[in-house]
Amino acid sequence: MMDVYTWLEGTAFATWVREAPTVWAYATILTLHTMGMGVLVGASMVLSLRLLGVGGTVPLVPLRILFRVVWAGFVVNLVTGAMLFMADATGRGVQGLFITKLLFVATGVVSVILTERHVYSGNADPPVVSATAKRLAFLSLVAWVAAITAGRLLAYIR
Amino acid sequence: MPFVNVPHLHLLMNHIPTVGTVIGLGLFLLSFVRRSEHLKHASLEVFFLIALASLPVYLTGLAAQAAITGGAGVSDAAIAAHHDRAILAFTFVEITGFVAWLALWQFRRLARPAGWTTPAFLLLGVMTLALMADAASVGGEIRHPEIKVSETAVAASGWVTAASVESLVANVPWIWPAAETLHFIGLSLLFGVLFVVNLRLLGALRAASFASLHRLLPWAMLGLGINLVTGMLFCIAAPSQYVTNTPFYWKIGFLMIAGVDLLYLTVIDKLWALEPGDDAALLDKAIAASAIVAWVGVIYGGRMLPFLGDAF
Repeated sequence: MMDVYTWLEGTAFATWVREAPTVWAYATILTLHTMGMGVLVGASMVLSLRLLGVGGTVPLVPLRILFRVVWAGFVVNLVTGAMLFMADATGRGVQGLFITKLLFVATGVVSVILTERHVYSGNADPPVVSATAKRLAFLSLVAWVAAITAGRLLAYIR
Repeated sequence: MPFVNVPHLHLLMNHIPTVGTVIGLGLFLLSFVRRSEHLKHASLEVFFLIALASLPVYLTGLAAQAAITGGAGVSDAAIAAHHDRAILAFTFVEITGFVAWLALWQFRRLARPAGWTTPAFLLLGVMTLALMADAASVGGEIRHPEIKVSETAVAASGWVTAASVESLVANVPWIWPAAETLHFIGLSLLFGVLFVVNLRLLGALRAASFASLHRLLPWAMLGLGINLVTGMLFCIAAPSQYVTNTPFYWKIGFLMIAGVDLLYLTVIDKLWALEPGDDAALLDKAIAASAIVAWVGVIYGGRMLPFLGDAF
């Protein structure tokens, strides 16, 4: 695996991300990663809050569009995250904290997918919020907070 | 900031919290004399805006402090004392602004606020006025010896001093990363809620009534509160990273626009009246779009601090 990381880190693109003396490389990619986070986690938090009972009058059917917002944010962060990873693949690839962050992100993604399926797959109109949906909503909330915490700490812990 | 002299900006803006607090409280008292709910709303709205505007007043003060400390003809002790008083006064104007916002939100949802909200607002507002006047008079002492505040007043410090915050951050290594983490979580909450509410005005969730989404606004305020506290911690502990950092001033500028929009979403009648399926007016769509742009600008300015700015 290290061979792959070494190769990734040595590509011209990774070198550009890491070393280009312009704000349009590393700085802009990192900023887009932050904005993607705001969209992804923000929209997911709103969904979770609603499912956990805050704003019980917000109708669930139109709120479904927020899953698309979540995925838009996720795609931005998948792409920018991969770019940032390439720039430091040999370091991040073996860093426990980084792998922990990825596990939290994976947990968040899976819980959001399951939440949508659970809330909107039934025939009930309007959809009902089951106890399982509430648990999933809570799980995704916890997973995103944990992912942000781990990700932020990456700046301080090598 | 080659094109604006920030310390001068502090002298221009520093009257806003003192004069504004007097006007806000005056309107509030007048609302009882005139038995006018409109006046009461107006006084709460004024206080929210004063709390918002107090942020650049405080931050330009940091720049002024950096510029004149150690200079000829100024008293460093008076500067430090003014800063400590200003931290206290700023804390109170922000708390009062949050309570004013909560009262406005409750007026909107419940037709009248909970029993404690407006008395708390009045009490906090009076305390803010006293603390602002105190901070301002000690601030005047820096350049105006004719004011003659007593020596002891200049020497004594408040219960949260800039020096104590600096030493806290210097001595407890996890405070800064923990505050950064909370700042990002607060960002997600604040941005997420306001993104969704503004998307409704733009038409994306038209099937939801505006009133139902209005219920989510306190969560945006929670995110704003988290980020105000953690952001102030950064600024007090390491002012040199911000006061000469151009993107920081963009960030604060965008934050003012976004803050006004937050008040607009909270109180405006025609938004509240949007039923499921109703389309917002073109002007409101433009305001919603500019609010999203402003929040993106806040995030951009903040994230770019180490890259476009010269600090860190």
